[in-house]
Amino acid sequence: MSQILAVATNTFREAVRDKVLHSILFFAALLLMVSLAMQEITIGDQAKVVRGVALGGISLMGAIIAIFLGVGLVWKEIEKKTIYTLASKPVARWRLLFGKYLGLWLTLAAEVSILTVLYTGIVGSQQGLPSGGVYLAIAMLMLELTLLCAWSTLFSTFAAPTTASAYSLCIYVIGHFTDDLLLFGQRAEDPTFKALCLALYRVLPNLELFNIRAEAVHGIVVPMTEVAWAAAYGLGYTAAVLAVAMMVFQRRDFA
Amino acid sequence: MTPAIRTEKLGKVYRSGFWRIPYTGLADLDLEVPEGTSFGFIGPNGAGKTTTIKTLMSLQKATSGRAWIHGVPVPDPESRRRVGFLPERPYFYEHLTAYEFLDFYGRLADVPSAERKARINVLLERVDLGRFRDVPLGKYSKGMLQRAGLAQTLIGDPSLLVLDEPMSGLDPLGRVLVRDLILEEKRNGRTVFFSSHVLADVEAICDRVAMVVGGKLRGQGTVPELLGSTVAHVDIVVAGVDEVDGRLLAVRGGRLARRLAPDAVDAFLDAARAAGAGIVSVVPAQRTLENVLLDEVERARPVNAKRLGVLA
Repeated sequence: MSQILAVATNTFREAVRDKVLHSILFFAALLLMVSLAMQEITIGDQAKVVRGVALGGISLMGAIIAIFLGVGLVWKEIEKKTIYTLASKPVARWRLLFGKYLGLWLTLAAEVSILTVLYTGIVGSQQGLPSGGVYLAIAMLMLELTLLCAWSTLFSTFAAPTTASAYSLCIYVIGHFTDDLLLFGQRAEDPTFKALCLALYRVLPNLELFNIRAEAVHGIVVPMTEVAWAAAYGLGYTAAVLAVAMMVFQRRDFA
Repeated sequence: MTPAIRTEKLGKVYRSGFWRIPYTGLADLDLEVPEGTSFGFIGPNGAGKTTTIKTLMSLQKATSGRAWIHGVPVPDPESRRRVGFLPERPYFYEHLTAYEFLDFYGRLADVPSAERKARINVLLERVDLGRFRDVPLGKYSKGMLQRAGLAQTLIGDPSLLVLDEPMSGLDPLGRVLVRDLILEEKRNGRTVFFSSHVLADVEAICDRVAMVVGGKLRGQGTVPELLGSTVAHVDIVVAGVDEVDGRLLAVRGGRLARRLAPDAVDAFLDAARAAGAGIVSVVPAQRTLENVLLDEVERARPVNAKRLGVLA
């Protein structure tokens, strides 16, 4: 375990010292502040719009970081040849990969925490302390990012960052539309196409399960069973994707 | 005693391109590195040295054969438990300081915290990086990185050091440092297995040498065993004549010098005396590892080697 933590700490440290991450975080903070300005140009329930834009901003920036850092996770080690000394240590490869994933997750958690504090400060100063539902929505977002960065980690074990980014982006976008895929499959007449749609629906992640941001914005209570189901689904799916990533990483030659 | 490294018919076939065309990087390597020796691994570029080392370090999988480190089969992580490895042209985490870097690798090698701290301080002083311990590696020069890399190999107190081309790209001072370190660690009882192009260094510091050419082992043994008792060539200097045998190779200060194969010496001396020359010196030159290696390269690919001028 201490070896996994050592790798995680190093990954976290590398990310935190990366200037690109700082600029993304700065941009996210800016977006949160801009959300305040939304009320000036909106009619209707301005407070809800501000909450919606701010939560959407946190989710978008989280996804960008999950993809951006995830796709370089293994690739960078290979590209910079640090993998030679790292993988030659008396540590099983799956531990190395899990450590790297954990470091990425910690970076995301730190980033989302910072944005949550900013959200509380910025939106709270105007609308009073946010409801518990908002924090639940952010926790669910963290689950989504946990799953998303497992995918980007998997892609980084075999693809170059540009390709891996494209794959991860596809997963992110399709992941938010899998319900449509199901609908599409159910209504399709061609049996092959129908089967394909349904198969894709089952294999691809359903990221909308973690999206309770609209409910949080409108103050609608989400049943805990739904949250528990999403958590079980998210963690189980993450474990499966990581297992595949570990298998790919285990088999890789570092020439 | 269990050898530090043993390989049995170790082979690696790479496949590249769309058609997965096979290319043999290493074939049927039988190697045995006894515990406590300094072992030089030599061969021309692309001979399979790095392939062997990467396979031993589990960075690549062998496509045939087997290998053991301290009796533990590769690629079991335990086989790398008492091993310090320095890759060719090492690259390290630029965001880490030398201290953090050694601390990270110490943790990966399961060195307890207190021991780790003490050892890092000793190692940094030893490779003369004590003053730069808090400087990020990204700001280090090439020589400093190599020194940090050497310190890293010792962090886990290994009994075997595996160094891939530790002297390449270093200035004379850097090479002396590496050389001294290898000798000192050998005195400390560690086995040192290293590949090198600098054959003079290998000859000077190694107990045993293995030679690979074209992915195949071409010789293995102590340096005298490999060199044999054969004389590589004889340098003869004569005076008092303009030519012997109708031709002379070089003129040095009014004397005539010629480099001859050992079996041509007698005939030349007879001819020189017949021409009335005075024999100034006859110096037999022992074969060096370089001669041995070039012979092996010639034997492995006679046509190509000659065409490329490797033997010139």
